[in-house]
Amino acid sequence: MLRYAAGRLVSALPVLLIVSLLSFGIVWIVPGDVAVEMAGPTATAEELARLRERLGLTKPWHEQLIGWYGALLQGDLGESILLRQGVGAAIVERLPVTLSLTFTALLIAFVCGTALGVLAAVRAGKAADRAAMGTALIGFSLPDFWLGLVFVYLFAVVLGWLPTGGYVPFTQDPLGWAQAMILPAGTLALSQMGLFARMTRAAMLEVLRQDYVRTARAKGMPGWIVVGKHALRNALIPVVTVAGIACGVLLGGAVVIESVFSLPGVGRLIVGAIQRRDYPVIQGGLLLTATIFVLVNLAVDLLYAALDPRIRHGRR
Amino acid sequence: MLTRRELGLAAGAAAVLPLGRPALAQGAGGSIVMAQQAQPPTLDAQVTSAQASRNITLHVFETLFARDEAGNPVPDLAEGVDISPDGLTYRFALRDARFHNGKRMTSADVKASLQRYGRVGASAFIMQPVEAIDTPDAKTVVVRLKNPSPGFIAGISSPRAPCAIIPEEEAGKEANRIEIIGTGPYRFVEYRPDSHVRLTRFADYVQNTKYQGMDGFAGRKVANVQDITIRFVPEAGARTAGLQTGEMHILEAIAVPAAQRLRNDRNLVMHEMMPWSFQTLMLNHAMEPMNNPVFRRALQAALDLEEIMAISTDGLYRMLHGWQHPGTTYFAGDVGKPLYNVNNKERARALLRESGYRNEEIIMLGDSSFSNHQATIVTAAEQLKSIGLNVRTVITDWPTAFSQRTQRTGWHMWALMLGIEPYEGPYGVVGFFSGNAPVQHVRDDVIEDCQRRLNTSLAEADRKKAVSDFQARMYDQAIAIKCGDVGIVQATRAQVRDYKPYRIPRMWGVTLA
Repeated sequence: MLRYAAGRLVSALPVLLIVSLLSFGIVWIVPGDVAVEMAGPTATAEELARLRERLGLTKPWHEQLIGWYGALLQGDLGESILLRQGVGAAIVERLPVTLSLTFTALLIAFVCGTALGVLAAVRAGKAADRAAMGTALIGFSLPDFWLGLVFVYLFAVVLGWLPTGGYVPFTQDPLGWAQAMILPAGTLALSQMGLFARMTRAAMLEVLRQDYVRTARAKGMPGWIVVGKHALRNALIPVVTVAGIACGVLLGGAVVIESVFSLPGVGRLIVGAIQRRDYPVIQGGLLLTATIFVLVNLAVDLLYAALDPRIRHGRR
Repeated sequence: MLTRRELGLAAGAAAVLPLGRPALAQGAGGSIVMAQQAQPPTLDAQVTSAQASRNITLHVFETLFARDEAGNPVPDLAEGVDISPDGLTYRFALRDARFHNGKRMTSADVKASLQRYGRVGASAFIMQPVEAIDTPDAKTVVVRLKNPSPGFIAGISSPRAPCAIIPEEEAGKEANRIEIIGTGPYRFVEYRPDSHVRLTRFADYVQNTKYQGMDGFAGRKVANVQDITIRFVPEAGARTAGLQTGEMHILEAIAVPAAQRLRNDRNLVMHEMMPWSFQTLMLNHAMEPMNNPVFRRALQAALDLEEIMAISTDGLYRMLHGWQHPGTTYFAGDVGKPLYNVNNKERARALLRESGYRNEEIIMLGDSSFSNHQATIVTAAEQLKSIGLNVRTVITDWPTAFSQRTQRTGWHMWALMLGIEPYEGPYGVVGFFSGNAPVQHVRDDVIEDCQRRLNTSLAEADRKKAVSDFQARMYDQAIAIKCGDVGIVQATRAQVRDYKPYRIPRMWGVTLA
């Protein structure tokens, strides 16, 4: 298993190298720079030119590329021009927000989606199936930002149960953290919940037709044990694979949700940096996001192997 | 140029301003949460003209002169100024003030701050006429100019990129590297990017006792509320919801439809401000056929500006031709008015034929970061298509559009709201179209002359004439197109008392019930 994990890690290095090159290149291709943001919307060309000089934005690209890789090899992602903070520190500061959001959403989506999928498979063709799949389809189809605003209006403005936005660290106030997370994580989870539900239903229907399930039933085993213990475990293998993809999608979706709910996460940091052309943050943020994505996929592969002994023993 | 008499009158007028409710400093408290869309690019007040920064920094920093409620320069950290008859020497007497680090403000701090502004200030050009700064004693600063510069006080009093007075120890630092230490009624506590800035009442704040009440960015600033949190909430719907639930007390701006919907909510108060800014269409004279004044006049004649304003502002607008606000010193009356909002398609087509237009593609540049920029460009594009123009709209994000407009190619028309410039008077507006890098990319001799006269004439009448001539030229040559005046709505919870809407949401003077 260790060799397998090490091999996957080594194979990720070229991916990260390409990402770092692309993020540097994109920054150079996209018009505009941080001086535009800093100087303000009505700055004159002269004011901008002076500010660019002072911020060191006039250095040639190859000098900046060498500087970027030189620092990167020493584990330094550079310093944000606008935040007066190291990029690594800025990301680490916001990572708990994004990870809280993403993994809470993943948990909600996985648990609820799987439950819906199992229900739909067990009651295939009946009203419960149609209701579960209809719910999944609606969740899958509605845009995150719209759903978020509807939830804010309903649960914060009309009912007054939850805050409209903002973040409370778990270590500071666990209840406040939970209150702050319910709406954004719930919103983010809805779209992926549909995916999990549909995947689980399909996999369960396949498994429920297998001989060993029929045998278990023939032996008089209670239905919930047959479904929960024997069928679900096998049906989860493709669902877990989807979890890796869903995690990436949720990380992407977190960008929108963080803006709607005013959460100071990594997504908002990167989008803000793109809008304001804070180059070091864009480069460092993209590299780090790609790294997280690679690691999550690695974790999913390892989990996949743990669930299916044929994979860890190399017998696919 | 402001004479001693004018400055005395300004201070005198400020002294008799109605007080409203008595200012409470003792025993007052509470926390206010203000929400704004953008986060500040920096809190170094001198180096940015961004509204998102100004909303915060003008609570922390103060300037020698500031703008009063009507936008006129009045003393703030200065007691006043004596200007020599030749307009070359400005002698500022300083009032008592204390920095947030406990240090008393002296002339050395002022000198170092002005010098830093000349190096790193976003509007550093205002220090260009300065030859030397002397500090004969701790309470006096003498600024000597190389040549008369009647806009000098207007420049150092402008909130656009405030010429903030900071401790001498900080003044040697580069842009965006200073500690956030000012003399204002609130001191800086923390900045959490993507989340909030927190300020707290400065207990040792030295009020300006020359005034009885608040007056624009000057006056007697009484900090009643103990703590202020400025939250950055990018989503307009979330800001409105936060105001409705009471999580936020003040919104920097609320969407016009939302303001109309909530107008009858007894828990909320909507504060409409008109004018807030100009909606304009800038033209690139370096590109063909925009280099032809006849072609530009065709555009001027074709556009239905009222339709553009109605669509781009959600109905909160005023049709006005002036390149200065009415009621201010330099408003030029009806000059140019006959050429404003002509909306005559036949005339436009005739001018188009006369210009020799050969179906060249006209690139109309807008950005999606400011919704009214985008709406203005899209509406104007449709109108111009209707007279036979070959139009292509390019909508990008703000930095891309701005970066493009600094180029001499790649755009013909660009939508821009001018907010702070018309508020601060004629210097910024005229300056936008003149100098080494005018927005239209081609210098116009008449406008250059107007700018020279505005910046050097000691008599106010001459400067007024220069602005009037500028406005006439803007219309006659269709240098750019002013669409109209845009308003905004600021919003507060009803428990926020004594709130007076202004260029920024001012937290001094307000109380929390």
